[in-house]
Amino acid sequence: MKLILLTALAAYVIAAIHSLLAFVNKRRALESIALWTAGIGLALHTASLVLDWVQDGRYPLFGLRETLSFLAWTIVATYFIVISRYRAQALGTFSLPLVSILTFAAILTRDHTGGAEGAAGSTTAAWMFPVHTTLLVFAYAAFFVVFMASVMYLLQERELKLKTFSAFFHRLPSLTTVNEIATLAAGVGLMLLSLGILTGMLWSSERDGRIWHNDPKEILAGLTWLLYMVLILYRASARWRGRRAAWLGVLGFALVLCTFFGARLMGSYHVFG
Amino acid sequence: MTIVLVGLNHKTAPVEVRERLAFTDEDCATGLHALVDGESVREGLIMSTCNRVEVLTATSVESVSDVFGRITTFLSEARNIPADLFNSHLYKHEDDGAVRHIFRVASSLDSMVVGEPQVLGQVRRAYALAVEAGTTGRVLNRLVHHALRVAKRVRSETGIAASAVSISYMAVELGRKIFGALDGRTVLLVGAGEMAELSARHLINAGATRILIANRTKETAERLANEFQGKAVDLSDLPKYLPEADIVICSTGAPDYLITYQIAKKALEKRRNRPSFYIDISVPRNIDPRVGEINNLFVFDIDDLEAVIASNIREREREAERAELIVESEVMQFQQSLRTLDIGPTLGALRQKMQQIARSELERQRSRLGELTPEQQEAIEALLIATVNKISHPVIHRLRNSYSIGEDDEVQAVRDMFGLED
Repeated sequence: MKLILLTALAAYVIAAIHSLLAFVNKRRALESIALWTAGIGLALHTASLVLDWVQDGRYPLFGLRETLSFLAWTIVATYFIVISRYRAQALGTFSLPLVSILTFAAILTRDHTGGAEGAAGSTTAAWMFPVHTTLLVFAYAAFFVVFMASVMYLLQERELKLKTFSAFFHRLPSLTTVNEIATLAAGVGLMLLSLGILTGMLWSSERDGRIWHNDPKEILAGLTWLLYMVLILYRASARWRGRRAAWLGVLGFALVLCTFFGARLMGSYHVFG
Repeated sequence: MTIVLVGLNHKTAPVEVRERLAFTDEDCATGLHALVDGESVREGLIMSTCNRVEVLTATSVESVSDVFGRITTFLSEARNIPADLFNSHLYKHEDDGAVRHIFRVASSLDSMVVGEPQVLGQVRRAYALAVEAGTTGRVLNRLVHHALRVAKRVRSETGIAASAVSISYMAVELGRKIFGALDGRTVLLVGAGEMAELSARHLINAGATRILIANRTKETAERLANEFQGKAVDLSDLPKYLPEADIVICSTGAPDYLITYQIAKKALEKRRNRPSFYIDISVPRNIDPRVGEINNLFVFDIDDLEAVIASNIREREREAERAELIVESEVMQFQQSLRTLDIGPTLGALRQKMQQIARSELERQRSRLGELTPEQQEAIEALLIATVNKISHPVIHRLRNSYSIGEDDEVQAVRDMFGLED
């Protein structure tokens, strides 16, 4: 399994480098190399995840190592979904290096996944646990896209207002494009987050008979949900378009990071492995 | 064959000199016939634009300075002006220098505005005229085709032509930055000056579909509306139409602000905060500078545009440095490809083959000749070689000619006839 994941990592690294070079030199040829290698990386990564699943007999999303690997996979998949709709290859320049780092970290990390079965429980709702985690990881990937698009928006909006253009200006997608990407990704992310929280609650009530533990991760996730809800509602009412919405997109992602890593530091029961 | 280029351009000569040396298309044809004599000047091409007059030749003469002199005399006679009037403005290049120069010209590295696209068309045109006049051959054919390839490579591999360097095109570039594709966008022209018209034309080419024209004199507005299939609106209805416009171009002579903070704010509210892009090229300004402070509204006045253009020109110059490297490597490649096509090796092989036949025949008959003194031996060999050389001379002469006018088939036929390998 390790070998396939290593090969996937190699493909991601090549893709990240070519994507960076394509961004700097504005070369289409390099861009297509980046796309192909990222695609190969994704295929290998998928194979590695499936093999893990078959071999271990449980869903490969548990503990830190698997979460990192799964998160990297989700980000690449999301990247391909976005660029199939929008000409925004610049997203790859920022996400592919992150994907490489996440995959590399996953390979380095050693897991003690002994408690996996115990944590998931053997209740009738056990199947809900992987659904819960998968939905949330995809939600995070969507919010990462919102974050990247928002930063691109803010950078360019600022330059347009100041009328001085940096090297970034000619290399990023248009304001309207990044705005649309952010809006769409926020909507999809919020939907996934809602479903993720809901399945978590159902699973929890089956196992412990309670749906809410007042756990730091749960509270932060609740806040995240609220923030993106506000973002979408304000956008829909057309009061907060453009810059302010983009700032919310950045803020929201900070909250996502807190939810993802912060809970680990605050001693949440959501920490496994 | 030596490639020789003599010319002057906007950097070396003032317009008074350039205009007197300029060739019309007809002048080019007659001039080329006068220049290319088939002896010393084998091939020729004249490129004449408002920024440059250049004569490019392929010559078989040993002394290049003779050719420089010949071309200078030709220019003086063809345009009927004394040579010392322009002589000091001329640049003269040979071989690598000439190849590099023509590559740089085609790639728009030698242009007044680096990266401007027209020069490529001008190179094509000059070449077409020379082909028509029948004054191009294997060297210039290859050279021009190679130059066009280099230009294409420079364009696609560097950002030399990436950003706008004119105000009218700036509207398109910034519009694209804000809206992405301009398909289906609405443009409002406030004032129908020449610059507004030109910008509108660029915007339509880029996909803008609806053009509204508000102008003080109704006739001009109607005329433009007809031409762009747009709509002429009353200048006093500006607040009513402003919310519909994605891109607004102001260029009236009005002495005060036509678009005030209040009007712009209201328009944006009516657009539900969808971004708009205002360009103000009028002096005094027609758009209150405070409008630029409103969120989702982007305002560029004439100074802003000029500043962006200046920075784009600097960006182009940075990219031009990368382009020079491409040109340099292509010059080397061209010289190499020219050498492999050189006629020299073919001629050498032909001579050698003939002499080898003579020597082996002598070898076969040597025993029948009996004892010979070294002098006699030498005389017989010299006689044979001289005979063979005399016989092959017209063949070689013919080969040289075929080669220089680019008749590859004939050269190949001779090679086949004598069984010459590369």
